[in-house]
Amino acid sequence: MKRSKVWAGGLILGIAIAASVGAYAQDQLPPPSPIEKQLAARANHVTEVTLDKTMLAFAAKFMKDEDDAEARQMIQNLKGVYVREYEFDNDHSYTADELDGLRKYMQGTDWTPMVRERSKGDGEQTDVYVKVVNGQMQGLYVLDAEARELSLVLIIGPINVDEIGKLGGTFGIPKHAIKSVKKAEKEVTK
Amino acid sequence: MKSSQTKSVWWTVALIPVGLAAVMTPAILLAAGGHGRWSGGHGFDAVVHGIESRYGVHATRIPFMGLISGIAGVSTHGGVHNLHVAEFENFSGPVDGEELNDLVANRVGEGWMRMIRETSRGGGDQTLIYIRPEGDRIGMLVVERDEHEMNVVQISVNPDKLNDEISHHTHGHDLDAGDGDAGHKVDQKVDNKSEADSE
Repeated sequence: MKRSKVWAGGLILGIAIAASVGAYAQDQLPPPSPIEKQLAARANHVTEVTLDKTMLAFAAKFMKDEDDAEARQMIQNLKGVYVREYEFDNDHSYTADELDGLRKYMQGTDWTPMVRERSKGDGEQTDVYVKVVNGQMQGLYVLDAEARELSLVLIIGPINVDEIGKLGGTFGIPKHAIKSVKKAEKEVTK
Repeated sequence: MKSSQTKSVWWTVALIPVGLAAVMTPAILLAAGGHGRWSGGHGFDAVVHGIESRYGVHATRIPFMGLISGIAGVSTHGGVHNLHVAEFENFSGPVDGEELNDLVANRVGEGWMRMIRETSRGGGDQTLIYIRPEGDRIGMLVVERDEHEMNVVQISVNPDKLNDEISHHTHGHDLDAGDGDAGHKVDQKVDNKSEADSE
């Protein structure tokens, strides 16, 4: 009888630890894809911006304008912002396989493609993935490939689509990345 | 007699930890020094010393920096505080971005988080910006290297007070002084970069 109680206790403890580790893992930005290291080695200029939950909540404290109340609320609840920009000397210094690898890296059960834009002339490509959990947007991943530039933007946490525009140009998030999201949103709501 | 026996027992008891500390301390210091983490402490000075010893350069310290920092604090009504500047002139030769990044990360200390890193191939331009919450203030540590020099700057900013001060001085000028969004101002470097890139 005693032994079964000990087992039950151990099982509950194990489940609790697994659940908390799972929750913790969801709050963390994923480690960078190995492809990013290859790109960084080839790039002429690399910009990395990383903000975790603590820093975002801290930054939100200083947004005092009443008009920014909702944006502040969103930033306060975000779990992480991760931006990488790679600039190259020559056109298309990245391969199609590398782009595919970067797309696949974020694809999981919760992530769904939202935008897939390709232009023939200059070969520009934009992909937007969203993470939807229980009907709420919990993540956004933008991969923007231009001839000599590659941008990755990953935002983890509850995202208010109406306020997403205010993130463009702040925290190192390129405005054009957010423009793609807004454009897609308009298309969806048409 | 009894008291002298007790004394000798106490001496023995006291000597054991002292002896252990004497043996262990150099070993611990050597081990920590071997990893380059603990040899010079943490923070601004540790970063500057690390750069000096790694690249064989000498930092030019600005005289009366404490006084300048104090004046900056008073003139900005507490907006700017704890200013430290070290300048490395004639800093030539290549800098491995990864190595510089590790050097700063190992010496900057607890609580600092790297927010921005910019690197260029060949190590010509390097920027590392670390921030940390300091109550109502933001601590910033910037390591910037361009072609011929490197600068290390640490500053503690109260965005609210600084914003008030800027608003006060720019009142009536063609600036959006009333936005009150100091978070955006902290990210001005990032904003400018993004805007330049999007163009």
